[in-house]
Amino acid sequence: METVQDEGGTWQPPREINIDPKQLVRLTGGVVVVVLLLIAAFSSWYTVEPEEKAVILRFGRHVATTDPGLHFKLPFGIDQAIKVPVTEVRKIEFGYGTQKAGVRTQYRDTTREDQATSLMLTGDLNIVDVTWVVQYQIADPDAFLFRMRNPEQAVQDLAETAMRSVVGDHTIDEVLRNRETIAGLMQKELQSGLNTYESGIEVLTVQLKDVTPPGPVKASFNEVNKAQQERSRLENEAMQEYNKVIPLARGEAKQRVAEAEGYELDRVNRAKGEVARFTELLAAYEESPEVTRKRMYLEAIEEVLPRVRRIIVAEEGGVLKLLPLDGPGTSGAGGAR
Amino acid sequence: MKIIGAAAAAVLAFLALVALAASMYTVREFELVVITQFGKPVGTAVTEPGLHFRTPFVQDVNRFDKRLQEWDGDANQIPTSDKRFIWVDTTARWRIVDPLLFLQTVRNEIGAQARLDDIIDSATRDQISAQNLVELVRNSNRVLDVPREETGEDDLSLSTQEVERVEVGRDEIARRILVAAVPLATEYGIELKDVRLKRINYREDVQRAVFERMVSERNRIAERYRSEGQGRRAEILGEREREQKRISSDAEREALEIMAGADAEAARIYADAYNADAEFYAFWRTLDTYRVVVGDNHTLVLSPDSELYRVLTGADGRSE
Repeated sequence: METVQDEGGTWQPPREINIDPKQLVRLTGGVVVVVLLLIAAFSSWYTVEPEEKAVILRFGRHVATTDPGLHFKLPFGIDQAIKVPVTEVRKIEFGYGTQKAGVRTQYRDTTREDQATSLMLTGDLNIVDVTWVVQYQIADPDAFLFRMRNPEQAVQDLAETAMRSVVGDHTIDEVLRNRETIAGLMQKELQSGLNTYESGIEVLTVQLKDVTPPGPVKASFNEVNKAQQERSRLENEAMQEYNKVIPLARGEAKQRVAEAEGYELDRVNRAKGEVARFTELLAAYEESPEVTRKRMYLEAIEEVLPRVRRIIVAEEGGVLKLLPLDGPGTSGAGGAR
Repeated sequence: MKIIGAAAAAVLAFLALVALAASMYTVREFELVVITQFGKPVGTAVTEPGLHFRTPFVQDVNRFDKRLQEWDGDANQIPTSDKRFIWVDTTARWRIVDPLLFLQTVRNEIGAQARLDDIIDSATRDQISAQNLVELVRNSNRVLDVPREETGEDDLSLSTQEVERVEVGRDEIARRILVAAVPLATEYGIELKDVRLKRINYREDVQRAVFERMVSERNRIAERYRSEGQGRRAEILGEREREQKRISSDAEREALEIMAGADAEAARIYADAYNADAEFYAFWRTLDTYRVVVGDNHTLVLSPDSELYRVLTGADGRSE
């Protein structure tokens, strides 16, 4: 640094300090030792939090993986501890993004990239819109650190590949209907891919969020649902009509048969009764046929004649003889009795 | 003099320390190191992690990452062999296995990525343009082979959409791309682990056409549901008519049979009894008939021969 002459002239030459060189050497040596000791003290231990594991590198070589707690290591950066959060559950969202999680989770607007992620081809060459979320954690910290450079990018890429692969082997109707099956198959495929990479990542869940037909065709899919419901409705209405009529018809049929059975009872009983009466009469008749016959005849006449107004007697010669029966005392015939 | 001597010793010690530090280097667990002297590689690559030594100041340490890393290509627009225009987005995983060769051919990862772009893109283009679209989408013929009943009710979409059988399949195509690219990558000291077809999407105009097809397909399915509904309705109502007729006619038949049986039974009972004396029965029945036939205020026409006349005129009484 160049000394600038100040015109104000306040500059003063530094005061000379007299120090014994021996003392200086001793002093600096002492300071260096203390500093080194301090550094050693502070760099020879580390703590591993409960949710972590630590991978220890000695001169870069992996020598140990330690569990939570207080641990010692070689100082001065000879041992290096890399902490890996193994129990932390991480997630990647596909085709959507949570902006603010909570009771009413807010999602950001769908971007072009979201659409590119979520639109995919089904096995019957239709397009379906699938959004999903993958949750995973680090199962093997050694592998996680040393086998792949960017294991989380692998989760991202493999998840997209696996989802397309699974959806590609199903029809659009199957994808829309069997979300759980799709998620299960996809998780299996994702995990097996991550295993071949030795990524040290374990997939915990794959959850399908929205599985819908793409925007422009949504309405027509709803139309199908509506039509399906209409089909059920028509069927139900017809069944209702059916049920209104058939039980009634069954009842009426039973009634008709019961009536016939009533007729049967009536007819047979009447026959039996009449026959019984006849049989008794016949018994009496057989005891004294002539008298009984006459009596019966007269009884019948007695019953019938009072109702008759007049009697016409048709003679052989064509002459009519009127037997007046109008009142008592006017009849010669009555007198004959 | 003492001071100068001590200072010189300190400086020397310091220089020695610096030289020692400069000659030591560490190789971390995921690293490969190539030592170069004035830009020229010296010896074989160092693959063993830990502490290593080199000649200080003249030798450089070139570190390479031996972990698996990603390659992500740009989406390519490629026509399939059935002339469908699609965007294909591939991803691959690779690692450096021969750092010396790697250093000599592509120098660094940026160079490697550029080389992989060429290798994988052209292999992808070759394989995809040789295949039909379905081969890229599906892995199996599951969609065609699974019996429709197992997939739930009414899977109607397949019946219209002509879907060919898959001969090769998505995974096999990815494998073929890999097989084509691996020998080329090996020339750069790179091991290509896999190539995957990440996204396959229709080109925008094709996509619109597909949407239109999907809409018309759904409309057709909806129409089918509707007419099925009407059909079911007609069927049920017809069934109702038939059932109703059957029930009532069955009942009618049964009733008539019962009544006929009753009549026959009655006739048998009458006949059994009346046959005991048919003549008396006729007489008795005639009397009953009189009672019924002759009503109030009737006029009775008699023949003088009739028994009634004789009774009324007393002729009978006298003759008896």
